[in-house]
Amino acid sequence: MFSILWRLDRLSRFGLGLLIFLILLGLVGPHLPLGDPMRIGAGPRLTPPSWQFPFGTDELGRSFLPRVVDGIRATFLLSAVAVIITAVIGTLLGMVSGFFGGFADQLVARGADILFAFPAILAGLLIAAVMGPGQISAIAVISVATLPLFIRVVRAVTLGLASRGFIVAAQVAGASPWRVMMVHILPNIIGAVIVQLTYALSIGMIIESALSFLGLGVQPPYASLGSLLRQGSAYLTFAPWLVLSSGAVLSAAIMSVNLTGDAVRDALEPLKGRSLT
Amino acid sequence: MTAPLTPVVDLDRIVVTYGGGPFRRDGFQAVKGISLQIAPGETVGLVGESGSGKTTLGRVCLGLQPPSAGEMRFCGEAFGALRQRRGQLSVVLQHPEWALNPRLKCGRSVEEPLVVLGTPAEERRARVAAMLENVGLGASFAERFPGQLSGGQRQRVAIARALITEPRFIVFDEAVSALDVSVQAQVLNLVRELQDQHGFGALFISHDLAATRYISHRIAVMYQGEFVEVAEAARFYGEPEHPYSRKLMAAIG
Amino acid sequence: MSHIVTCENLVVTYRASNGPVRALDGVDLTISEGETLAIVGESGSGKSTLGMAMGRLLPAEAEREDGRMDVAGQPVFDIAANDLRELRRDLLGFVFQNPMVALDPTMRIGRQMQRAMGRRAGSEEIHALLERAELDDPARVAKSFPHQLSGGMAQRVVIAMASARTPRLLIADEPTASLDASIRDKVMGTLCRLRAESGASLVILSHDVHMIARHADRVAVMYGGRIVEQGPTGRVLDAPVHPYTRALLKAAAGHEKPGDWLTPIPGTPPLLSARCAACSFEPRCTVSEENCHTTRPEPREVEGREVLCLLAGTQTEPKEAAR
Repeated sequence: MFSILWRLDRLSRFGLGLLIFLILLGLVGPHLPLGDPMRIGAGPRLTPPSWQFPFGTDELGRSFLPRVVDGIRATFLLSAVAVIITAVIGTLLGMVSGFFGGFADQLVARGADILFAFPAILAGLLIAAVMGPGQISAIAVISVATLPLFIRVVRAVTLGLASRGFIVAAQVAGASPWRVMMVHILPNIIGAVIVQLTYALSIGMIIESALSFLGLGVQPPYASLGSLLRQGSAYLTFAPWLVLSSGAVLSAAIMSVNLTGDAVRDALEPLKGRSLT
Repeated sequence: MTAPLTPVVDLDRIVVTYGGGPFRRDGFQAVKGISLQIAPGETVGLVGESGSGKTTLGRVCLGLQPPSAGEMRFCGEAFGALRQRRGQLSVVLQHPEWALNPRLKCGRSVEEPLVVLGTPAEERRARVAAMLENVGLGASFAERFPGQLSGGQRQRVAIARALITEPRFIVFDEAVSALDVSVQAQVLNLVRELQDQHGFGALFISHDLAATRYISHRIAVMYQGEFVEVAEAARFYGEPEHPYSRKLMAAIG
Repeated sequence: MSHIVTCENLVVTYRASNGPVRALDGVDLTISEGETLAIVGESGSGKSTLGMAMGRLLPAEAEREDGRMDVAGQPVFDIAANDLRELRRDLLGFVFQNPMVALDPTMRIGRQMQRAMGRRAGSEEIHALLERAELDDPARVAKSFPHQLSGGMAQRVVIAMASARTPRLLIADEPTASLDASIRDKVMGTLCRLRAESGASLVILSHDVHMIARHADRVAVMYGGRIVEQGPTGRVLDAPVHPYTRALLKAAAGHEKPGDWLTPIPGTPPLLSARCAACSFEPRCTVSEENCHTTRPEPREVEGREVLCLLAGTQTEPKEAAR
């Protein structure tokens, strides 16, 4: 496992390093002496960055740096929870679809197509309208948007595996479909799932930010990178540091996930190299 | 080799149609009414080009492909579901690199049919060790992963897995086709020896007539879903009857 | 007779994570213009490495350590990338085991043929080439995608592409191994006919002894990265001299009688990490003697062929008929 680290190129190492740094920052952020993200009037309103307030202050005089660190955590946590739940569901559905074929396959594959054709933001508005804005609906929207990614890949890989000797031999030996899937298929597709997981995570972060930007995700006074962006956009002309800081961190976060995803894919499929598609 | 025993596999006018359904009549007949009996201890070779339906017929014998018409009897009874036939039949397939689950140690692959049967762990370990010895590998191979093995060794592990439950019937589908000549001879000899020991009936599917006639007692030549010739293997050392069989013979030279 | 390939003491090593692997351990070989040479050997014998070395088509971790390989008078390991490209394009043609891998799945056959010919050839020219490769309906084939063709047809397309520029050397790596037994001989026949028409040389890499017996003028048997026996096909296959050739022929099904047992070769082929200082077949040899273990055999002329065996021709062993 660690030998993979040695094979990474500089770009991948940078991405992985950035990702680890951001996750650590999100985790230990509340314990760092950065100031209280909730304290109103910690300083004057909308002051530019200074030693005391490295990212400036917002319209309520809250220090912006601890709010961004809080936002990192909210964005990562929310997307990660959503994507992991989705990965489990999608992997199971994809395996069932690819292994059993027939009617179950038609049902799952066509369902995935429909979900895939559905614009995520529209789905988000619908779900938020039904369930009300908040973290639960944000998770639901991310799941709906990324579920087809998992189903499609897992189904395709499972189809390729299903005719291999060890799967057929297990079936002939009378192993139950559940056993075949858990013992023989899952361990052999987990790499593909992990690669898909990183892509889904970056999509999930974008969706979470978009929803929060629209006011449908994380609700005040809590912050996510998207809601901070929205907050800052109102003062873009005379306090650009709000948008710049939260936007830069959001871009960095998504970039780090994507670079890490590429690195994972390259490590698992060393022959294919880095392609543009 | 026409022993007066109940055949392990008895195919009665088997038809397999693909793509047809209750609402469609344009199905493709991969197997067109084939009858065949395989006696215990007998190996029947099945040769033919790809697309001749030989793999489909093999899948019927394994209970993986329900026939569209006709009946398959196993040891004199209706076949039923694969789960009822646990431990009674098994398969060895082409492509040694895919024969074994790359994530499992060989020992776990070999013992799987016993796990499915519910054999206690203690007994499983002993039988796996004995079977690995039996196929000429040695018990230490139980701890190895397939990636550390050569093609011939993997195929031996696959044969050990196929034999572990002492099945009555084994299908070998192109089981030696991907192996080097000298390794092929090892594996073919191993199968012959093991059959003498264990007395299973076997269907040996291959496009390689030389290997098939070496290992089989009888050979069925399949062409476009039908048998064009079924004869004793010795016949294929001389002059077989059907022109297509002779064409296959020509490839051996 | 001039030589299209001259290979002298060629040594090729693969760098691997657990140390170097010496795939070619000093190969001496010449191929005459217009001859068909079969290189026989099991996987790991080095035959593919030797075949690919003729076009310097070796993976990046392969390194030529010693010796030289001249193709059409050019030292392939020492010429500039540009010259190498020209050599591959104009003088060499390759046919690989699996035609479906050799063909681009996203492109119609006609366009791929055009690329192989290297110019905007008219459809009539393309059809003529396909027809020469004995494809019955060239117009339909040219319009097809690779997946719409059978394995045999696809391999004929590959053969047509390989011979499109009338190369002087065709290299075929297990050209019929992935095809049905019933059509193997015909496809091989096509390849040999095209070779004869153009007067090119043909190198067949294979372990199918029966096929080689029918199509090759000369056979080179490889073991442990060296050619252990080479000579006229009839002589080598009917009366092999090297113990390995004999063992290989006895292990192959096809010439036994009903009820006979095949004799497998015990043990496994060697994985060399350095120059082999002895006979590499010695550990598996049934007739070896003391000095086989200590002396590296050099090519000798025995019974009309070149053999790498210290004992060949000296022993009075029971004549074992291979057939």
